[in-house]
Amino acid sequence: MALTSFLPAPTQLSQDQLEAEEKARSQRSRQTSLVSSRREPPPYGYRKGWIPRLLEDFGDGGAFPEIHVAQYPLDMGRKKKMSNALAIQVDAEGKIKYDAIARQGQSKDKVIYSKYTDLVPKEVMNADDPDLQRPDEEAIKEITEKTRVALEKSVSQKVAAAMPVRAADKLAPAQYIRYTPSQQGVAFNSGAKQRVIRMVEMQKDPMEPPRFKINKKIPRGPPSPPAPVMHSPSRKMTVKEQQEWKIPPCISNWKNAKGYTIPLDKRLAADGRGLQTVHINENFAKLAEALYIADRKAREAVEMRAQVERKMAQKEKEKHEEKLREMAQKARERRAGIKTHVEKEDGEARERDEIRHDRRKERQHDRNLSRAAPDKRSKLQRNENRDISEVIALGVPNPRTSNEVQYDQRLFNQSKGMDSGFGCGEDEIYNVYDQAWRGGKDMAQNIYRPSKNLDKDMYGDDLEARIKTNRYQGRPLSFNIYTSENKVVHSHFSSSLDLFPIRSFLVQTVDKEAEKDQFSLRRILSVWTNFWKKPSNTVALKDPQIAAVPRNMSMKAKREGRSRYFVQSERTVVDNPNDASHMGNTLYMARIKTKSGCQSPALLFITGEGGGYGKILL
Amino acid sequence: MAIKLRNEYGPVLHMPTSKENLKEKVPQSASDSYGHKQYPANQGQEVEYLVTGTHPYPPGPGVALTADTKIQRMPSESAAQSLAVALPASQARADANRPVPTGGEYRHPGAPDRAQPAGAVVMEGGNAKNSALMAKKAPTMPKPQWHPPWKLYRVISGHLGWVRCIAVEPGNQWFVTGSADRTIKIWDLASGKLKLSLTGHISTVRGVIVSTRSPYLFSCGEDKQVKCWDLEYNKVIRHYHGHLSAVYGLDLHPTIDVLVTCSRDSTARIWDVRTKASVHTLSGHTNAVATVRCQAAEPQIITGSHDTTIRLWDLVAGKTRVTLTNHKKSVRAVVLHPRHYTFASGSPDNIKQWKFPDGSFIQNLSGHNAIINTLTVNSDGVLVSGADNGTMHLWDWRTGYNFQRVHAAVQPGSLDSESGIFACAFDQSESRLLTAEADKTIKVYKEDDTATEETHPVSWKPEIIKRKRF
Repeated sequence: MALTSFLPAPTQLSQDQLEAEEKARSQRSRQTSLVSSRREPPPYGYRKGWIPRLLEDFGDGGAFPEIHVAQYPLDMGRKKKMSNALAIQVDAEGKIKYDAIARQGQSKDKVIYSKYTDLVPKEVMNADDPDLQRPDEEAIKEITEKTRVALEKSVSQKVAAAMPVRAADKLAPAQYIRYTPSQQGVAFNSGAKQRVIRMVEMQKDPMEPPRFKINKKIPRGPPSPPAPVMHSPSRKMTVKEQQEWKIPPCISNWKNAKGYTIPLDKRLAADGRGLQTVHINENFAKLAEALYIADRKAREAVEMRAQVERKMAQKEKEKHEEKLREMAQKARERRAGIKTHVEKEDGEARERDEIRHDRRKERQHDRNLSRAAPDKRSKLQRNENRDISEVIALGVPNPRTSNEVQYDQRLFNQSKGMDSGFGCGEDEIYNVYDQAWRGGKDMAQNIYRPSKNLDKDMYGDDLEARIKTNRYQGRPLSFNIYTSENKVVHSHFSSSLDLFPIRSFLVQTVDKEAEKDQFSLRRILSVWTNFWKKPSNTVALKDPQIAAVPRNMSMKAKREGRSRYFVQSERTVVDNPNDASHMGNTLYMARIKTKSGCQSPALLFITGEGGGYGKILL
Repeated sequence: MAIKLRNEYGPVLHMPTSKENLKEKVPQSASDSYGHKQYPANQGQEVEYLVTGTHPYPPGPGVALTADTKIQRMPSESAAQSLAVALPASQARADANRPVPTGGEYRHPGAPDRAQPAGAVVMEGGNAKNSALMAKKAPTMPKPQWHPPWKLYRVISGHLGWVRCIAVEPGNQWFVTGSADRTIKIWDLASGKLKLSLTGHISTVRGVIVSTRSPYLFSCGEDKQVKCWDLEYNKVIRHYHGHLSAVYGLDLHPTIDVLVTCSRDSTARIWDVRTKASVHTLSGHTNAVATVRCQAAEPQIITGSHDTTIRLWDLVAGKTRVTLTNHKKSVRAVVLHPRHYTFASGSPDNIKQWKFPDGSFIQNLSGHNAIINTLTVNSDGVLVSGADNGTMHLWDWRTGYNFQRVHAAVQPGSLDSESGIFACAFDQSESRLLTAEADKTIKVYKEDDTATEETHPVSWKPEIIKRKRF
């Protein structure tokens, strides 16, 4: 800056100065008409803060290295932006082909209509217009042949591809190639100048599975561009058309619009069925009337007839009685010795008469029978007189009863299998075993039998007899009642059935034992009555084990057969191994508070024995 | 001006006509640009079907169609009557809708100056803007070919469900139907007697076809099954397994042993008949494919779908050649002309005709305002469109002229709503038309022998302009 101010102005202009001068002059001259649109980079020294952005900022040159921004002179280095605009195409007359946009992306031979003239109807042509004629036979034949070959090829490929195995492809013939190596010499190619190479195609295994996976789904390519729409927009729907298309919703008799079921009464009311009066043909009434009258008449007639019959019968009876009376009269007279002329008839004639009478009766009987059921009668009659051989030959069933025992066939053949054995394959019945395992009596005897040695003292030697006898039938039941004072009271009951309903047992006790031992019996009685009166007492036990008996159990006992229930409830509690009287059977226990004598609570043990022998320990 | 008027009337004229209107047989307007005039009351006709399409002034049968014979010189009696019926209404309507009183511009169609092109009228009016538009030759309707009307001849009942499909055997001895009662039944064509019932499908049978190249019958159903029946044993011998949903239709290639089926899974599949291999799966439709047709010439496969498009396929590559998006509603029926290199497709909005091989649009056949289930054509050029509401329209293929409308009564015991045509087919001699209907019957139609061009004249006006519908 300083230097130029000191120096004088140059006399000679340099080349670039000249150019600048010229440019300035021309610009000045042009400025009158046009504004320069040319953009140029600012000259050196004025580029502070200037950033070249546009293409013009670079002029024709390259980037400005002193400006540290990304620069793309001549768009170099910038990503190419692809434009999908089509180049303008013109036709022979120089008009722009606007249908190029419709043709874009379509194959060349595709026919695309896009012009207005394509929409306009053609002149109606003559029937024999050459334009309207089908291609001639030859052309069609040619087309057919071409198509057929193409399709055949495609089909054969497809069919072959679908085959699991195909015949091995025929190999191409071997090729012979003469080969001259570049390196010649004795050291190379074992001294040969040339080689002949036989080229053979490699054999392919026809069974080889495909080497590449071809089951991959390839997404479909973009569809071909749509064809231009060659019709005017569809007309607006008129109101009438809209109404025509309105399809009324189906109205149900059963469901309302919300889908709920319409109640029956509403439904019936809605369909107006009740509103119509039902017109019934009057002939129904007429028919009913006629039937009624006919019925009444018939009844009257029947009644009348019955009356007549009754009268006839009455008369008959009277006649008969009269006759009898007459006969009696005669008999009386005869007895009285009054002879009548009737007596002179001899016995023979009477006998004949009787026979005659019998015959007549028989005939009448036969007639009656035949009239009553002619067919049955005849058959019966026929079969009655048949010989037995005839009966067999005719196959008439012989209902002869045999004395042999008849078995149900289903009981046999049970060893066959599922179908025959287990209730004929019925699943419902749980018949896993078709018969009992070693059924019969021996089994029960072997298993459920007290050992002899152990219980000999209790039962004696007649254990067998005891087991075999019916337990409760007709065998007196005996109880040993032990009081706490070791008094033994024997009680015998004739009926064993009264063992468990202790109420009756008690009554019987009272009955039978009243005179035996007043004291002990009264005591027992009192014990029992007390026991019944206050069931809660029995529960109030000192022994914690016994006290664990549930209260409701006793309450239940109070309601129905209480002693029995109560006693049973105690059964598990008491298991006294020291007691000699315990014999493997049930041991019942109850705790009773007695009023008389015994102040301390007593224990009651009823030992039920298999043979109907029990002990009550007090 | 007249054209403008007519264009304005268009929407009014082509409002969907209700059934009552159809039955009244009162012409809606004399200026009906389509000539779909109802029959006047004096036309003798049966109760069960309804013939429409009378012209008020038919040209004489022997008169050649020239400029001066277009004017009717001696109107027939019926024509005069119908004119009398037709005129007042049209006049009244014209007056009511006329924006500017233009004296004498709206002449009734019999007026002689109607013969001159419509553009001239406009030029007279001096509307320069309009004239530029209308300067090109106004399309006129060529004279349609006369076809005898078809009348109901026999009703065959026997199916226990909707009859969904029908096919006539190449020998013309019997025909086969498939039904919603899961059976395929074979009927004698001459007597209408049941010959055979085939069971095997477990859902509605939606398509049957008899092979011309083998004694096989192919059937497809909503149970996703495509079956091949051997008609020598009446047994299923092959299953073509692969569709993921109900199979709606099938067709056989005429020259190659290939079967094409289309399905609700929005694909069509090509099967090799012998090996049962699926050669191609033609995917591209975005909704159920309702119908498929095959031909020997290119394009060999044509499918119509519920996604409102028609696709023409390249059978070799299994790719779409052309997609036609002109329909606004689902395309349920496609039919190929037996002789011409054209085809038609039916949709609830229109029936459209197309030209092969590229599917260039030819014309619309509008007027059948119902869901068109089926189309069939005979070599005489009679196109039949059967609709879901039981109506059947018969058209002249070339001109698109609707010469008859039929609505057969349902069989006794059916509801009125159960009338519907699911399929129709001409027999091989093209003397019978068989329709498979929703009232569980098959109806057989035959041409009315007594009808002549005089008794059933063509309602045609040369200057009628077809209204453009896209």
